[in-house]
Amino acid sequence: MADGATMCLAVSLSPEAAPSHPPGAGPDFSLLARFVQEAEAAGLDMVLLGDSAPVASGPNRQMRFEATTLLAALATVTSRIGLVAAASTVAHQPYNLARRFASLDIISHGRAGWNASMTSEPREAANFSRPEGFSGDDFRLRTEEFIGIVQGLWKGWDADAVLFDKVGGRFFDPEKMHLLDHKGEYFSVRGPLNVARSPQDTPVLVMSGLSEPAMDIAARTADVVLLDEPSIEPAKSGDLKRRALTLGRRPEALKVLMNVTGSAETTAAPDLFADRLEECFRSKACDGFNVAMPFTSALDDFVGLVLPELRRRGLVRSGYSTTTLRAHLGLAGEDRQ
Amino acid sequence: MSAGRGQMKLGAFLWATGHHIAAWRHPQAHVTAGIDIDHYIQLARTAEAAKFDMIFCEDAAGVREANVNIASQTSRSIGFEPISLLAALAVQTERIGLVSTASTSYNEPYGLARTFLSLDHLSGGRAGWNLVTSASQIEAANFGSTGLRPHADRYERAREFAAVVAGLWQGQGGHEGRSFSTRDPLDLPRSPQGAPVMVQAGASDEGRDLAARTADVVFTAAQTFEEAKAFYDDLKGRLAAHGREPEDVKIMPGVAPVVAASEAEARAKHDELQELIPDDVGVALLSSYLSISDLARYPIDGPLPELPVSEGMQSRQALVIEQSRRDKLSIRQLARHFAGARGHWRVVGTPAQIADELEARFEGGAADGFNVMPSYFPGQLDAFATLVVPELQRRGLFRTDYEGSTLRDHLGLKRPA
Repeated sequence: MADGATMCLAVSLSPEAAPSHPPGAGPDFSLLARFVQEAEAAGLDMVLLGDSAPVASGPNRQMRFEATTLLAALATVTSRIGLVAAASTVAHQPYNLARRFASLDIISHGRAGWNASMTSEPREAANFSRPEGFSGDDFRLRTEEFIGIVQGLWKGWDADAVLFDKVGGRFFDPEKMHLLDHKGEYFSVRGPLNVARSPQDTPVLVMSGLSEPAMDIAARTADVVLLDEPSIEPAKSGDLKRRALTLGRRPEALKVLMNVTGSAETTAAPDLFADRLEECFRSKACDGFNVAMPFTSALDDFVGLVLPELRRRGLVRSGYSTTTLRAHLGLAGEDRQ
Repeated sequence: MSAGRGQMKLGAFLWATGHHIAAWRHPQAHVTAGIDIDHYIQLARTAEAAKFDMIFCEDAAGVREANVNIASQTSRSIGFEPISLLAALAVQTERIGLVSTASTSYNEPYGLARTFLSLDHLSGGRAGWNLVTSASQIEAANFGSTGLRPHADRYERAREFAAVVAGLWQGQGGHEGRSFSTRDPLDLPRSPQGAPVMVQAGASDEGRDLAARTADVVFTAAQTFEEAKAFYDDLKGRLAAHGREPEDVKIMPGVAPVVAASEAEARAKHDELQELIPDDVGVALLSSYLSISDLARYPIDGPLPELPVSEGMQSRQALVIEQSRRDKLSIRQLARHFAGARGHWRVVGTPAQIADELEARFEGGAADGFNVMPSYFPGQLDAFATLVVPELQRRGLFRTDYEGSTLRDHLGLKRPA
């Protein structure tokens, strides 16, 4: 590409992507570990780990781990690739969720991200003592407040707050610890978090399931937004970037990734698949792609057939030159605003 | 093998830089423990090589100390969130049990049951949940509450919470109760060990009653043999009413050992740690155990004042007060004493002396095992693992290899139906 820009690439491992498994067998961590290690060997930016509400009769449910615990385990068997877990704002309290991800970020040395869905899942609320569920507006306003609290808690400790001064007897500098003191419509949270500052400033915030009213929330707070295929929402990316600009952010500080599905198309015609991604990327419809893998072996085809083609065209960087997820995505340092 | 009590169970209680409040200042303490996952992986492997039954992590959903000046002189305001920590350790170890505390006050049973079951699958059946209710104002303020729930209310919620979690682990779904409702079963297969191990630590009357109904393991704090024995007999005595056998629950008091090759060396190590405690930190820690905020206004060399009963930790409070009266301790002395071991039983000495003490409580029927609380990490865990464990093994009091693969196997617990 003339300006040398390269696309962001994520692969997603959703529950539906799990291979069929003998009934009654436990979930298989080693299979998932191999999948993520393969994505890392290919130099991809991140893997997205799904975590949806239970559907009683769904097929292939045997593979499941809860996503944040899975992320922690995967962090110890990888060293460079970003790891993003979905976690529901209905299933967690903001303090607990902020803490879990802050801890995951330290465990992974700055490679963790949270995928927050802006779409409510009615079945889920019924398992969390909210049988009446949430109205659309209520859910959106609550989620907006929730996300603000989480991002605020992630900044409660300055990067240089902890001194480790054994001789002087001062473990941290009190001036560099900040209470949140949030009192809102849905939550009140004093803070601070009891986890140190992230190695990548804050965990990466990914947002998905955007409805029109949620666009401003994403434009103001998200690091990464996942959108569905361009045929459905062709102008959304430009719209999001314009809104971000209006809200005082640099458009480059918000990465828009298009959800695409690999599989049959990849194997049959990798060139055509690469063409489609290139066209979408060059037309500025997105900054990159989240390639959903319907089964774990689909990654072999993407990595073996499509990725070399994208690299040949100069559309994807080769290997990692940075260590944190934020830096892989071009969201570190002065890009961070 | 000595007598007829079989072998004791051992937990390795991991906490930040160490259980001693001033541990982080010790020259041999790993001061960056709270941000160093490799340090924890190493500790877990040390405990596993010594055949400990489990690693144990405690938890609170907030910083430990509201006074930022006091807090900044301890290492306890930052650390790993324990479930993510144990999930990381699960795939870096093979046999050792992994137990974390989580509160019934600020979680929902469906989410907690699912998370621990996921940890159980990641570890091949080695997970356990230590149920606590939260008694701290600091935590309450992070969850929209302006005051604590009364003690009895907290336990009513905890009872319902524990029942819902146990049901979900047995594949049930659909609950409608006073505090919680759920609809679906969990979207995970059954636990490799039947169900994760249920641990409890509350020692109040409500806490003991809940433990007798639901716990597989009970952690407790007891200074003397008599206290430990009284607690042990009381709890085991409550089991029959719930149709349970004495061996269905393992009682494991905390022990805070300071071990060295010679007694003089061990005493010197202990004194060195005590010297590192600032007075204001010691008094603040004591205040928080007594659930009162103004202990600092009493003369530090005077006795403990008469205290009102609070809604905080009732059983711990009684323990502290009893100790101060028994030993005629000043606030400063009591503060230092408690700051060191956090109200748990402290043993300072050689490997043989520590083994003697543990053996006496185990054989005397005051404990089924111990939750070991090293004063600083990694040094005092290493010392226990390489000096005390071999001594216990020589006496036939502790295993020389794991008998099974799950935490229930290690603890000799039945699989739930």
